[in-house]
Amino acid sequence: MRRGVRTRTGARDARGLATGGAKGLMTGGALLVAAGLVLTGCGSADGSAQTDAASKKPDLKVSGAYMPVPPTADMAAGYFTVTNSGGADELTSVTSDIAADVTLHTTDGGAMKEQKSFDVPAGGRLDFARGGNHVMFDKLTHRPKLGEKVSVELHFAESGTITVEVPVKAATYNPSSHH
Amino acid sequence: MRKNTLLAAALVAAATLTLSACGSGDDGKKPVAEVSVESGSSDKAATVLDKPFTKPDLVLTDTHGKKYDLVEQTKGRPTLIYFGYTHCPDVCPLTMSNIAVAKKQLPKAEQDKLRVVFVTTDPERDTPSALASWLKAQDPDFIGLTGDFSTIQAGARQLGISIEPPTKDKNGKVVSMHGTQVVAFSPKTDAGYVLYGEDATVDDYTKDLPKLIKGETP
Repeated sequence: MRRGVRTRTGARDARGLATGGAKGLMTGGALLVAAGLVLTGCGSADGSAQTDAASKKPDLKVSGAYMPVPPTADMAAGYFTVTNSGGADELTSVTSDIAADVTLHTTDGGAMKEQKSFDVPAGGRLDFARGGNHVMFDKLTHRPKLGEKVSVELHFAESGTITVEVPVKAATYNPSSHH
Repeated sequence: MRKNTLLAAALVAAATLTLSACGSGDDGKKPVAEVSVESGSSDKAATVLDKPFTKPDLVLTDTHGKKYDLVEQTKGRPTLIYFGYTHCPDVCPLTMSNIAVAKKQLPKAEQDKLRVVFVTTDPERDTPSALASWLKAQDPDFIGLTGDFSTIQAGARQLGISIEPPTKDKNGKVVSMHGTQVVAFSPKTDAGYVLYGEDATVDDYTKDLPKLIKGETP
């Protein structure tokens, strides 16, 4: 299942706008409508399954974490995927020794928005990926080097803290790219 | 452009199918958001414009603190333009790094022809020296421009790129906007004829740059 749907839609939509052509706009619109329909259509049908899972304890796994080498020591971004085979949980904050200030963001059509928390749905996943959700590490102690491992603590409402050793990858590293 | 239309049609079809699948006795096992939106992304990264953009008449300040006349100084040069800001951890450095890595794979003579212009959307914080140190990490030959926000915004708008001035959030943090595409200008016509979205990869640029340098359609 792809939770990236919303951000992808944003990107396509913006590209459509830039072409200035009616067709481009229509594509963006159709995507929005398509995603909306599916989510609404299935949401209610899945109600019973969600309730079952919600009563269970969350069972989280963090994978695919990375931090691209930033251009300066000012700030860096971090990405990872949380998969949940149990009940619902919530990512409430992230901390790390490498940065005095760590915040959670979504990106939509060129604008970043800080978020207080992110839901980890029961039996679902939470994706942080290029061009979408990202963790922002501000006021770095140093500029992380390629191959370095940065220790990052993810704090969840139910599951407590999960510490992840995040490898520093090339500035262009993007496992979520589909070309 | 035809591909876009087809993609839209395919998506609508996909949505319809999923809906009917849900309606006819959903067993609750199916993931909610399984929409194969990504199937369209095997398309080329480049969007070739039917109506190319005129290069915006931007006169700004470069990383050396000198006046930079975009139209005059990139005339007859293959040119890539991107609007972003340096306090941007995600898309802005990725976009510039992708172009930088792809550029290094060109023969030296072609590298010298290419102009890569980064125009800040956050001129208050992105002074010439802030831009210089950020761009140096990507490619020292990249051109960084700063200046009056309204001038930059107007230039972006001419390329269909909508940016709003930086604002302060509740915690007093500055929130800026970046453009969501790179515009490629032809050395033959000086018109902006190709767009790349933020999901364009190093490979996409590596494949297309030799053509863009000649003003050909990728």
